[in-house]
Amino acid sequence: MNRSRILYHMVHADFLERVRRYSFLLTIGFAIYLGYAVYARQVTLQLNHYRGVDNSAWLGAVIGLISSVWVSLIGFYIVKNSIQRDRQTRVGQILAATPMNKSFYTLGKALSNFAVLAVMVLILALAAVVIQLLRGEDTQIQFGALLSPILILGLTAVAVVAALAVLFESLPVLRGGVGNVLYFFFWVALLSISVSPLTGSRQPTGLRALQDFTGIATVMGQMREQVHQLDPHYEGGSSFGLGNFNPATKTFLWTGVHWSSGLIVGRALWLAVALLLALLAAVFFDRFDPSRNSLRTAVKRKPASALDTLAAQTFAATNSSLALPPTIQLTPLPRSGTSAVPRSRFFALVLAEFRLLFRGHAWWWYIAAAGLFIACLFSSLEDARPGILLAAWFWPALFWSQMGTREQIFSTGALIFSAPRAAPRQLLATYAAGVLLAALTGGGLGLHLLFARDFSGLAAWSVAALFIPAMALALGVTTGSRKAFEAIYTAWWYVGPLHHLPRFDFMATTAQSSTPIGYLSAAAVLVLLAYSWRTVRLAYA
Amino acid sequence: MQLAIESVTKRYRKGVIALQHFSLEVKPGVLGLLGPNGAGKTTLMSILATITKATEGRVLWNGADIARDPDVLRSVLGYLPQDFGVYPNLNAVEFLQYLAAVKGLDGAAAARRIDQLLELVNLADVRKRPLGGFSGGMKQRVGIAQALLNDPQLLIVDEPTAGLDPEERVRFRNLLSDLSGERIVILSTHIVSDVEATATDIALIAKGTLVAHATPEALLRRVEGKVWEWVVSSDALTSAKQRFLISSTTRRSDGVHVRVLGDQPPQGAELAAPNLEDAYLYCLSQHRTGAHA
Repeated sequence: MNRSRILYHMVHADFLERVRRYSFLLTIGFAIYLGYAVYARQVTLQLNHYRGVDNSAWLGAVIGLISSVWVSLIGFYIVKNSIQRDRQTRVGQILAATPMNKSFYTLGKALSNFAVLAVMVLILALAAVVIQLLRGEDTQIQFGALLSPILILGLTAVAVVAALAVLFESLPVLRGGVGNVLYFFFWVALLSISVSPLTGSRQPTGLRALQDFTGIATVMGQMREQVHQLDPHYEGGSSFGLGNFNPATKTFLWTGVHWSSGLIVGRALWLAVALLLALLAAVFFDRFDPSRNSLRTAVKRKPASALDTLAAQTFAATNSSLALPPTIQLTPLPRSGTSAVPRSRFFALVLAEFRLLFRGHAWWWYIAAAGLFIACLFSSLEDARPGILLAAWFWPALFWSQMGTREQIFSTGALIFSAPRAAPRQLLATYAAGVLLAALTGGGLGLHLLFARDFSGLAAWSVAALFIPAMALALGVTTGSRKAFEAIYTAWWYVGPLHHLPRFDFMATTAQSSTPIGYLSAAAVLVLLAYSWRTVRLAYA
Repeated sequence: MQLAIESVTKRYRKGVIALQHFSLEVKPGVLGLLGPNGAGKTTLMSILATITKATEGRVLWNGADIARDPDVLRSVLGYLPQDFGVYPNLNAVEFLQYLAAVKGLDGAAAARRIDQLLELVNLADVRKRPLGGFSGGMKQRVGIAQALLNDPQLLIVDEPTAGLDPEERVRFRNLLSDLSGERIVILSTHIVSDVEATATDIALIAKGTLVAHATPEALLRRVEGKVWEWVVSSDALTSAKQRFLISSTTRRSDGVHVRVLGDQPPQGAELAAPNLEDAYLYCLSQHRTGAHA
């Protein structure tokens, strides 16, 4: 079998496995929602008061930018599980025993990621056609003008993201939650760099155009030039994003992106970057070698086989026969009626869940958390509430993200949910442990507010401590994955609390941006959602 | 103490039927649940362990329907699933303490029990090592320990000896025998020797239906006079396999010694004493051909 055929089958099998999962429906649903958001003008592209006439060129540009900006963010979290899936299904061990080339594997995974993201982009392209026909401002579909920004900008951007996801999965340090959180900041940086060549009403040229990963500076630059020719008073402002706070009052006729050879070469270079990233991933890819797993490293001095031998030797030394050791007698447990189970052990379970949250984290995490606690307690309220608290409650994000997911990730569900009343007890205990974690890590500010007799601030702080774990639990239980919370929490933290944005500031970092009643209600709804979801998913509750 | 399975049917999506009108009454002792791969054993175990619900029929624990009140059973249930995971960053003691809390056990009693169980499953010396570094067999022993945490009246073990070395397998069989008595143990496996060593009752299951439920002695009686030992040349073995139901073959200096199951012996064959594997294969073949009621 030649190499291209091997690659084809690797990509084909991986792609089929993905699209036949229910989670792929969510991916398609998200792409359709983005299309709807454009139609409902929830996602807007404006040049001050101007927007383009809804023709093929304009909608192609809008959808192209959505693909390169938003799909490059969300898409990363959607596809960053291809190697993990092979690890979990243990297919990886079978693959590792074949002559499979590591570069082929990572390249195949990147191509499979690309195929999934390309489906999203193609759905968006289809949505552009539908939107144009529904809006009716110009019903003539010009496929070249419509598809060129989607394909040239959108597909190149998602190609890079597809390869980046494989690289993150190949690097042990970026494979888990740290990678999920870091990618958001990486994306923010990438977007900033992409936009930075955009100045005044001129489009970027030359090497500055190459740093435009999303194509946003290129497209908006050309649009700005066109509007400037139409309206000399226009000085170059533009916006692209969620919300429509100042609806456009004027329209202009956008005829499409002018694709210069420099721009095409620039996009081709990004494709080359994608290829290089996929191949670079092969350098770090462990080929499913369990000895390169961090836990195996932790017990390196006594590997599994040695432990087994030790146990067997101990057994052999103390028991010459295969009969049970005569000294070991199981003490019967006290029974009340037909039940051996005392009815009030909830707090023991909360403590057990709380201890479980902390497992597997390095000592320096606790030092930093303690430092943030002390800083919140002893700095001024003006510094602590809008500043240090942000760090204190961002720091445990990877702890909260475990909530509601562990049973699925580690396949312990059958052991746990066959216990009496396990579904409600264990879920509420997990939530209580998460609240306890929030109260401890943000406790410095809580105490500070209490000492300062700022009771409204304390109430808002308490609501935040209830809301964050509720969000973690609901996302964990419904998705079965840590990624959703890690991605959404990071993005929300960045948009809301960090910028003290009213309504979005769930941490209530300022009195002005605080909306405790709304978040208290949301916390209740989220806990209820988690409970309902779990009880529906389990046959018994 | 009684477990009654009454006409249980389990239908999965796309119409796949795993169990079909399955009925069985189980009393204290070890019930060996035997059947080929895909017979419906694990589905039945999951229903009995209150992990999944039957589509039709009901399961009664001491007269109470476990679908209506699963906690009646859960409080006295020990369950070792066929495929389960552990938290890799916890050690054996911490993991068992966690599950003891989930099961609602008293802290002091649980601590004592965990110590004893770790001794029992031979993991006392590695009790402080993270489970992530355990071998498959060691994890299986942790699974056995957790199933016994709450001193269960109903112990369900699904393929418990998978991954255990021969020594540990024998140890586990002995443990099961010692544990039975005033409790019900359901041992699901396709390894006949495990059942032979421990079971006081045997249920044969195939294609989601009950093929036979009897004591090992009664099952052996069914195949008495139907097991033949026959010596054939290596060349004749392929043809013999096509003509007769063969339960085992052993190569010796005088040829291949073949155990043949059937009402009529091959020419030159001698009657042999049946074992449980013969009975198992005979009952299944009778079921397949529809000769068995």
